[in-house]
Amino acid sequence: EMIKTEKVLHLKSSRGRKVRVVRELYLREQVACGSALCQAGCENDGKLLSGDVTHYVVPDAGVVRDFLEILEFRELCGIVFTQTACQAAQHARGRRHYNRLRGLLKDPRHDCVLFANEFQQYSYCPREKGETQEQWHTRCVYHAAVWYYNHLAGLTPVVMITEDQNTIKTCSSLNSGVYVISTNEYLESFWPDLQAARELYASIAQTLQERESEGVEKEYPEHLPADVLEAGIKSGRYIQGMLNVNKHRAQNEAFVRFEGSTNKNTELNSDVLISGMKHRNRAIQGDSVAVELLPRSEWKGRTTALAAGQGEERAGEDAQSQLMPTGRVVGILQRNWRDYVVTFPPREELQSQSRNSQKILVIPWDYRIPKIRISTQQAETLQDHRVIVRVDSWESTSLYPSGHSVRVLGKAGELETEIQTILLENSIHVAPFSEAQLREMSLNSKEHPWQVDPAEVSSRRDLRDTHLVFSIDPLGCEDVDDTLSIRTLPGGKHLELGVHIADVTHFVKEGSLTDLEARSRATTYYLADRRYDMLPAVLSADLCSLLRRVDRYAMSVLWELDAESLAVCNVWYGRTLIHSSYQLHYELAQSLLNGEGPEVPELAQLESSEQDRKLAELLHALETLTRVARHLRAQRDWGGALELEGVEVRAQLDKDKNIVALVPKEPLEVHETVAECMIYANHWVARKIQERFPHQALLRHHPPPKQEFFNQLIDSAKSRGFTIDTRSNKALADSLDQAMDPQDPLVNRLLRMMATQAMSNALYFSTGSCPEEEYYHYGLALDRYTHFTSPIRRYADIIVHRLLMAALQSEKEDCLHKTLASNKELEEMAQQINNKNRAAQHIQKQSIELFQYLYFRDKDPLTDERCVADAIIYTIRANGMLVFIPQYSLKGAVYLKNREGQVVSIEDEGRCTWQAGTLQRHPDRISTCTTAGTHIFHLFDHVTVRISVEPSRCHANSLSLELISNRPHAAARSESRPTGRGHSELVQEVVRREEASQQAVQEKKRPKLSREDREFRQSKKPNLYSLLQEISELALLDSSVCHVPSSEPQTCITSS
Amino acid sequence: MAGLELLSDQGYRLDGRKASELRKVQARMGVFGQADGSAYMEQGNTKALAVVYGPHEVRGSRSKSLHDRAVINCQYSMATFSTAERKRRPHGDRKSSEMSLHLKQTFEAAVLTQLYPRSQIDIYVKILQSDGGNYSACVNAATLALVDAGIPMRDYVCACTAGFAEGTALADLCHAEETGGGTALSLALLPRSQSIALVQMDARLHQDHLDTLMEAAMEACKGLSKVLDSVVRQHLQEVSVLSRD
Repeated sequence: EMIKTEKVLHLKSSRGRKVRVVRELYLREQVACGSALCQAGCENDGKLLSGDVTHYVVPDAGVVRDFLEILEFRELCGIVFTQTACQAAQHARGRRHYNRLRGLLKDPRHDCVLFANEFQQYSYCPREKGETQEQWHTRCVYHAAVWYYNHLAGLTPVVMITEDQNTIKTCSSLNSGVYVISTNEYLESFWPDLQAARELYASIAQTLQERESEGVEKEYPEHLPADVLEAGIKSGRYIQGMLNVNKHRAQNEAFVRFEGSTNKNTELNSDVLISGMKHRNRAIQGDSVAVELLPRSEWKGRTTALAAGQGEERAGEDAQSQLMPTGRVVGILQRNWRDYVVTFPPREELQSQSRNSQKILVIPWDYRIPKIRISTQQAETLQDHRVIVRVDSWESTSLYPSGHSVRVLGKAGELETEIQTILLENSIHVAPFSEAQLREMSLNSKEHPWQVDPAEVSSRRDLRDTHLVFSIDPLGCEDVDDTLSIRTLPGGKHLELGVHIADVTHFVKEGSLTDLEARSRATTYYLADRRYDMLPAVLSADLCSLLRRVDRYAMSVLWELDAESLAVCNVWYGRTLIHSSYQLHYELAQSLLNGEGPEVPELAQLESSEQDRKLAELLHALETLTRVARHLRAQRDWGGALELEGVEVRAQLDKDKNIVALVPKEPLEVHETVAECMIYANHWVARKIQERFPHQALLRHHPPPKQEFFNQLIDSAKSRGFTIDTRSNKALADSLDQAMDPQDPLVNRLLRMMATQAMSNALYFSTGSCPEEEYYHYGLALDRYTHFTSPIRRYADIIVHRLLMAALQSEKEDCLHKTLASNKELEEMAQQINNKNRAAQHIQKQSIELFQYLYFRDKDPLTDERCVADAIIYTIRANGMLVFIPQYSLKGAVYLKNREGQVVSIEDEGRCTWQAGTLQRHPDRISTCTTAGTHIFHLFDHVTVRISVEPSRCHANSLSLELISNRPHAAARSESRPTGRGHSELVQEVVRREEASQQAVQEKKRPKLSREDREFRQSKKPNLYSLLQEISELALLDSSVCHVPSSEPQTCITSS
Repeated sequence: MAGLELLSDQGYRLDGRKASELRKVQARMGVFGQADGSAYMEQGNTKALAVVYGPHEVRGSRSKSLHDRAVINCQYSMATFSTAERKRRPHGDRKSSEMSLHLKQTFEAAVLTQLYPRSQIDIYVKILQSDGGNYSACVNAATLALVDAGIPMRDYVCACTAGFAEGTALADLCHAEETGGGTALSLALLPRSQSIALVQMDARLHQDHLDTLMEAAMEACKGLSKVLDSVVRQHLQEVSVLSRD
């Protein structure tokens, strides 16, 4: 049934000679066309081109090569990619381009298919003598288009788009029904409304045109060919790694951290420094590069001074640290370009540049990206706008990379533009959910209320009447994905602890559009003022959300615990049906536990006797839960779990979305209780799936940190006389607990912050791609851990839910009936989720910084009280120090030397002025020496700083700090003295003491004692957090003169 | 060459075949009059010529002869023009001696050598054009040549390669697929008894995939045996027509 022909190729051999290669080619009559209109009965499986379009479009090889971005518009539908065009594009533009095309073809949201025209007997045409490759490709594509038209029996006209004018002339009238037009004409006549696509077309076309007429002067050495690089890396001559540009010295410093352990050079245990743009040789932040080490005589050290302002060169005079391996980039293995947000240069600069045709150097938002050359005529009109730019190439003849503009984001400085910038810079795309996705969802409206399916009731374990289920979340939280239950089993010997998680996988079927969208988002993104949900609101806030007093599907883990020792006797996993009775928030739950007798909204309607009974029931459950959680926590503490207080701040907004205050988050014991139960559930699910699927389970590990990263922490602690033992997580946790300055609780908090920074992030991985000893979660001190408890806002949990269901299923039937994702696929997915999580953290941080900036923007730093704050020094640098402002949870640099070379001098009352003088830096202190005398700043000293904004045209705006006094801020000083110790440490201590005395103390006394303890410390001694709360409320009072602030925060930044 | 997609998302291989499809096979028997048996075999663009002499007395030193069965002597060679770049190929290089040895082992398992004690059977194979699967083309050609020579065998010996790409087993690899990374397994099979005469694999493969790969190779061998059978039958028909005249 197949016809064999031969294809002659001319390839280059390994030695560079031209070789004639003959390859076979088998043609067949039946090649799937992939159209819904197919009349011939093709075996179309998988994606189908929709039938209800006005035409099909077949892009030529040149169009696919150069204008793929335009074809990526989702509005364009009915695209038939020919195999010829795809292969030509892959050949010309490389693997990355091709993968992008493949992604497009696989994505069900894009209406496009691949037609293997070269394997079709009647659409294949052999190359003719004297025909150039381009001509041949175009002819092949045209033949394919004609075949396609005839194959569909002329049901739909076919349009071929090409950039080749000759083809348009010769072919346009050959066949009726097959039109050949240029891309531009196509866009204009078929998609007149798609302004963006046409602009993008013009931008790319102009760039292509100008590339042809370029100079030949070499600015950079050529990159080595790929096979030389590969051989060099294998032999150890070159080092492979990811380029990381120093944000503060983007022009000068970049580092390469090598990947893998292939490198035999044991002396290289640090990063390799790439100094200067010439040595960086056209590599851009994030590229995977090959580096050759320079001779030892040319090695340099990294700069330790704080960079004063951007772009300022201060090489030479800088104090340089010890030499480090220095190298130069010899080749690029993988470009990692993304879309960049840029700003046009100011008008004056524009004029000096514009002699040079229409090429303009635009400045990327990200400091680490070099300026990009683009051609545009809109530079004038887009003066203060932010624009998305894509980099096309960076030739060795050009000082800067060249690119083209894609889309205008909006005016710089506006909130929306800035938020969009942050999202884009982190490669996060959050288009609204499409019609088709929403159509997949079940409905829940007034007219058609969603109801529990009777078939599901019979297949699930029904907990509606047997269990008291409740949830504890931040106030105003809509997506409740976890609920808890605890009860004493009949007989009184056993407790049953239950964690019930929203059954998202019941609603989100694998491979559905919603699933794909959730997979590409990987997590819900929380910004300071908004969030972008991973799942559509109908699921996240309604059907999946475990709201009170409605029946909901859940995935449950139920532990049978011994009532005395709390040892696990039995674990049950499975799908359940629950009915949550209470939807508590943390503050309410805590005050219930504290016995403050708050109003529980769920009980408001009931009679008082009924109310008391229910309240007692709930309180008993909460208390038992707290006891269990303390036990679990203590168990993990024995193993060496770390308590690492990160600093999170929350913006409180009023109705018009103005920022009223920045409030640090306040931890309560009940936070820990809930978190502990979730950790426990995650741990047990991890054990289950790892046991069942040893090679393809998704777990989360936290690799132990490298010891050298702790050096700063150890040195800093030493300056206050503490020793930090970092040999194990247990030792670290203990020594961090020891490092407590009774005078200043902030020291401990800062030390914990440094410890956090020294550690690597916890990551998802597939069990098949990691040896078993690396499964360990260092921070939580658990041998196996995964994420199971938040499927509404994390995709990893959805995967884990599916794995758990598959595990239970296979246990029942004793065979693997469903095909699971292989280890490789799962590992890729894990990497994707890790990347997205990192990006989500960045956008959260950056959006908070943005809001901090916006908070201070409208305030006059010289007169406004709120701009002066207490700060604590945590790192010493060559020309200044880094400080932390607890009031706003803000970190920043304070310079002791200004641009004129003057240093800070202290006058009476600690006031600061600039005077000529010198700086002397020591590991734990920095001293300024002027005619007025010498002053020393120690680590962990409190100083007073003034916060002002430092607007930036092209980059992220920032705050700048100015030292105004070397004493603690007056407002803080009066109150901070009697400060007790941090709350969480207190709780820890109580728990630990309790555990230790467990054998000795009698069962009855214990809960009583602990409650007294807790009450005492919580209410009578002011702790750090309530203090901070008060300070920020003080700040809040001022602004409330004009408008009453809504005390409810509009976002909830959830932890666990 | 990096970036060759061995199996496209639509399930096509580089040359337009699907995963389990074989290349086009053409064969002729009795191409030389002077030898006892000969055959010419094309598997796609891989072309092999096999010639069989014997059984005859053991040549050279008598000590080689075996008292209970025949000695099989194989010699494999490649024509200088068989690859894209012309290359002189001296006899007895490592690769071709290895291949000779493999052929010898294969046919010792298939030929009923005990019928010819103290004698020798010579099999000479030459690759005229190489495009992947040299070993299997040689085995198939030699089988036909042995049949042509009238030497009794247990069964046809059919050989084929199979590779692995994107989680799917590919039958009958061409040169680009063999060199494009991944594993290649050569299998020589006696199809009727399903016994394996020789199996060889050089690259790494996860144990879980071995069964699928073997299965694919066996299927391919069975497909080939049908072709060989029809070639033999057709040849017999032609010969018998000739002899009747």
